[in-house]
Amino acid sequence: MSKKILLKNVHNQGQATFDGYVNSGGLLGLKKALKKDPKEVIEEVKNSGLRGRGGAGFPTGVKWGFVPRDTGKPVYLICNADESEPGTFKDRVIMERDPFLMIEGMIIAAYALGSSLSFIYVRGEYSYPYIKTLEAIKEAYSKGMLGKNILGSNFSHEMVLHRGAGAYICGEETGLINSLEGKKGQPRIKPPFPAVKGLYGCPTCVNNVETLAVLPFIFSEGWEAYAALGTEKSKGTKLISASGHINKPGVYEIELGYPLKEFLEVECGGVWKGRKLKAVIPGGSSVPVLRADEIEKVNLDYESLRDAGTMLGSGGFIVLDETADMVEVARNLAHFYAHESCGQCTPCREGGHWVEKVFTRISKGRGVPGDMELVDSMCSQIAGHTICPFGDALVTPAQSLMKKFPEEFKDRILNGSKSTNPLNYELGH
Amino acid sequence: MSETVNLTIDGKALSVPKGTNLIEAAKKLGILIPHYCYHPDLSIAGNCRMCQVAVKGAPKLTIACNTQVTEGMEVATNSKEVKDAQSATLEFILINHPLDCTVCDQAGHCKLQDYHFEYNAKPSRFLEEKEHKPKAVPLGPTVMLDGERCIMCTRCIRFCDEVTKTSELGMLNRGDRSVISINPGRELDNPLSGSVVDLCPVGALTHRNWRFNSRIWFTKQVDSVCPGCSTGCNVKVAVRDKQVVQVKARYNSNVNKEWLCDEGRYGFHRFLPETRVLEPLINGKVASLDEALTKASKMFDDKTAIFLSPDLLFEEFSLISKFIETLPVKPFTCVQYKKRELSEVEKILVSPDYAANFKSAQNFGLASEDPSTQYIEGIAKLKEGSFSSVWIIGDRGIEEVEGISLPVNSVGFFTNAENNLKPGIVLPARSILEKSGLYLNKDLRLQFIDRLIDFPSNTEPEWRLINKIAEKRGKKLTDAQSDRDLTLSVLNPEISIFTLKEQGGVRI
Repeated sequence: MSKKILLKNVHNQGQATFDGYVNSGGLLGLKKALKKDPKEVIEEVKNSGLRGRGGAGFPTGVKWGFVPRDTGKPVYLICNADESEPGTFKDRVIMERDPFLMIEGMIIAAYALGSSLSFIYVRGEYSYPYIKTLEAIKEAYSKGMLGKNILGSNFSHEMVLHRGAGAYICGEETGLINSLEGKKGQPRIKPPFPAVKGLYGCPTCVNNVETLAVLPFIFSEGWEAYAALGTEKSKGTKLISASGHINKPGVYEIELGYPLKEFLEVECGGVWKGRKLKAVIPGGSSVPVLRADEIEKVNLDYESLRDAGTMLGSGGFIVLDETADMVEVARNLAHFYAHESCGQCTPCREGGHWVEKVFTRISKGRGVPGDMELVDSMCSQIAGHTICPFGDALVTPAQSLMKKFPEEFKDRILNGSKSTNPLNYELGH
Repeated sequence: MSETVNLTIDGKALSVPKGTNLIEAAKKLGILIPHYCYHPDLSIAGNCRMCQVAVKGAPKLTIACNTQVTEGMEVATNSKEVKDAQSATLEFILINHPLDCTVCDQAGHCKLQDYHFEYNAKPSRFLEEKEHKPKAVPLGPTVMLDGERCIMCTRCIRFCDEVTKTSELGMLNRGDRSVISINPGRELDNPLSGSVVDLCPVGALTHRNWRFNSRIWFTKQVDSVCPGCSTGCNVKVAVRDKQVVQVKARYNSNVNKEWLCDEGRYGFHRFLPETRVLEPLINGKVASLDEALTKASKMFDDKTAIFLSPDLLFEEFSLISKFIETLPVKPFTCVQYKKRELSEVEKILVSPDYAANFKSAQNFGLASEDPSTQYIEGIAKLKEGSFSSVWIIGDRGIEEVEGISLPVNSVGFFTNAENNLKPGIVLPARSILEKSGLYLNKDLRLQFIDRLIDFPSNTEPEWRLINKIAEKRGKKLTDAQSDRDLTLSVLNPEISIFTLKEQGGVRI
């Protein structure tokens, strides 16, 4: 196991209090960053090679560089804590156990962007993380970590904690912005991009919790220390939330480039109940699935997973053992995405449910020949044809499960339901 | 905005002003990029995905409504990829659509039918149960919603948010359970509420008072202008059996965009009285037209007043002004004009009057710059008995009847047999819906108002009655035989009726 940056202190007693945080070496990064010029801060983040940890993996420093600072309008920073991708629960650990790490990271980012007001948008279902973060923010205000002249510097910053109402789509940055403005959580068409016209029409930068929580390390230890971790293009560490048919589910921090198989065998303790591995979904439910025979040479970093035809995504590592019914997996995920479609664009609104309905029919043994081709042709007309990437997220599991496990689908269509699944899901909302 | 950008669409080169979107640019070449949610006067929603086009160099299809032209852009609107996307979009839209075209008021002028015929025309592959949503939901006094027919283009929501700024409508739920709804405690009752029906590209929103009253293909649809006020909104009127079956706004960026007020839209019937004057009357008794005209032609003296209805035609005002020149003493003239208080929403469109064509009267010197005061003066003088001869041209020449007693020498050109003013001579005239001609709106835009309904026999247009009276007095004013002849006689030869209709009128 590699160096820990984010999870280093999560087991410390009192880490979620200001004193506990400072005792574990907190605020050092912020103090150093506040002495630098904001441009220098952005430059160092670029040098560190830090990439967005929410899923897209876009270089964070470059993203900050898109935010104009001379428009005469305020610049807003938003911390995206709407962690809703199935299989992803990494940000929760930071919010519950080490919330000051996130707050410190946000202040550094806000300083770099010239923002005097930031928002944390917490997923609606996250009540405990919400409470812990709220307590932390209150304490940060009382200890001079937030508010006027932070830590005696000239930089002042306010922070607002907002709890969502429980919609997956509010994790998409423009959907999040609409929701934060009090509107329906529906993504906006781009252009204009949030960097230019985001929250309340002002330049806005949206970063993931994990991305922001890395910043204190980059400035306390130096960007070189961070860039020294990981592979050539995937620098640093990544939180992986492992779930499914494994012996030790949980949140792990790995150095990028860590072999997937080793992660599964060592950290996760291997597949449970002595069963064989069937498949791995390595980056949250909306990335393509890997069959057991495909994981041998794959490492957990952006490039290696891309070459294997999938993505690191948000690091939601879902393991399926040999008993998993892949038709049911496809139906289950299709149900989730159909339920979460915001209803704006035609292909996703209508097509998402159609995919779900066909998979439901197949899983109940009422499939007809041609169903797989039908779903495939629908999916190719949903992907890339919508306002936000939700359309792509919805078709990826459907298409990849059918592609990787075609015989299971064919068998169910031809021979009817042999599913032993005790939960005979009825289609419904 | 004078900066122009050169691009090609389907291989055809054009240059358009910077900032133009691809739908509007393609229109200039006569290429229709199909769309549902886009409307030139509403914000871009980009949700229907019908207008996807291929832009060279872009990794995937892009929506034409939200893509502005750039120099050297190469756009394809008919590549295989585009056609597949259009076809798929329609398939998606229709999977949960009830396909109840047989009873749908929109059938025959429905963008779903038209586009499906044009861009898909394939049987559906959908084997599942359709989603069910609320049907026949009244949104307010004028509009009914069918949730299942709705394609979620949000034009109606955006209209209420952006144009009337009344925000009555919103979208409830997510995914394919989404449904348009009125916000809690509200009602869609703003003065332009009927416009959302025009904006609805499908049959989801219908007029409550016109539901199920005719298949649109059994109606005659006429492009005309609303005679309700001096804004002169462009309309398309569907007529069947001498009845107005439906009124739609017709797009005119210079006048009404695509909006129409409810008072105008639902008020066409007020120009068609239930009981008509069908024969000339002298002192309440039926007479021949010749006799009545001969008698009337002698009723001019030095205390004559002519009260003009504000919905006479431009040509008629022209003829009346010529006629007045032939009289020995210039009579008092005024046009019936009443100022009107408007609400904030009405001010978006409606003019503060009920006098659609008073500008024409002013143009020919028949009304003063302050027609309201002039009309009030005229009525006051009439009540004092200052006029010995009174002419009322058009039913709406005088609206107040309280305390008015007309002198013996009085003539009315009426359509309404129940008009409470009882002039000595009543001549059977025609309603504005039964004539065609020109209207001058408040911005001095000359527009063509077309005949919607066939006139009853025995009635005469006001201009012909005046011409005949002039003839009796020895000076014929025009040789025109029909409304059209008369219109052409007043128009500059460079302007044809066709150009007037095509260009949405001309400013004079």
